[in-house]
Amino acid sequence: MSAARLEAFLAKIYVDEDSRQRFLADPRGEAAKAGLNEREIGSLEKIDRAGLILTAQSLQKKRRRLYRKRSKG
Amino acid sequence: MKFNRAGNNTIQDRVGLGWRPELAVGILSHLDRIDVVEVIADDLFDAPRGERRALRALSAQTAVVLHGVSLGLASSVPVETKLLEKTARLCEEANPEYWSEHLAFVRGGGVEIGHLTAPPRTDATIEGAAANLKRARDVVGSAPLVENIATLIDPPGSDYDEIDWIDRIIDSSPSDLLLDLHNLHANATNFGYDETEFLKRLPAERIVAVHLAGGKWVEALGERRVLDDHLHDVPDAVYRLLTELAAVVPHPLTVILERDGAYPPIETLLRQLDRAREALTEGRSRQFEQIEKEAA
Repeated sequence: MSAARLEAFLAKIYVDEDSRQRFLADPRGEAAKAGLNEREIGSLEKIDRAGLILTAQSLQKKRRRLYRKRSKG
Repeated sequence: MKFNRAGNNTIQDRVGLGWRPELAVGILSHLDRIDVVEVIADDLFDAPRGERRALRALSAQTAVVLHGVSLGLASSVPVETKLLEKTARLCEEANPEYWSEHLAFVRGGGVEIGHLTAPPRTDATIEGAAANLKRARDVVGSAPLVENIATLIDPPGSDYDEIDWIDRIIDSSPSDLLLDLHNLHANATNFGYDETEFLKRLPAERIVAVHLAGGKWVEALGERRVLDDHLHDVPDAVYRLLTELAAVVPHPLTVILERDGAYPPIETLLRQLDRAREALTEGRSRQFEQIEKEAA
């Protein structure tokens, strides 16, 4: 179950700006609140911050394109 | 492995292009220079009957393969049955030579990420991927080829490096590998490992198909990374990797060029296919020379 929780947590910080900002301000607190285990929390404290920002930027563009395409039918 | 007496390469590699509506006219008018066409499965899941008929018409004219982007197979969470059933219906209609998907997760906890994302490389995602791939095979009727993805972030919570993680999934699943050489190049560049060594560590006998694409540099917090955006031409490094690969893979490869926008004239893309053929020929020659040397 913890593996699924970690994936859910990552999905959230990758696509949701507010969640990401809260996480970057307090990685341990936010990860613990999500019910992640100590090993996962430790890993998130050392997150590749440049990678996180670039991933979020890239996903934002791709999601925008995707929704534009879907709304065109 | 087959070589004729004259030393010519007789391994029948094929080179093709990803189908996009913007490229349709160019593809259909150059089928003599395109051996195989790759169609995005998800675009047709809920498409009107006319579009699905067009796919059948295309597969009557040329070799067609299907490529999925939304199953999210590399996850500790079971793949959605509804999506597998849609894939199964499409495979039945289009009769592709194979279908493929990514080693990615695309949703979690009710959040749709909207694109391919690298999961934590752990035992949980290895076991999840293996179980999902077996289910995919059971529902669709054939196992997908699985593709390595590009990532801008070193996935948090990982216990394995990328290659060990891929190896373990391949070992424990019915799927062979669709190796995306630009994804390999991007990840090697972004995370500082040797791309040729990476290639050597992969099981050559399990690599069946190849993707080629291009990308660009992006930057944050003073760090540069390669983004695999499919909007740029294939870089030289990727052709070099294709040659390296063709020098060791013992069976025919299907190579697909992916382009998702900023479309150049079709002739530019056809030239990239020609370059891929040259890279393959060079690799096959090297393989042949090696065999000759060992036989002498």
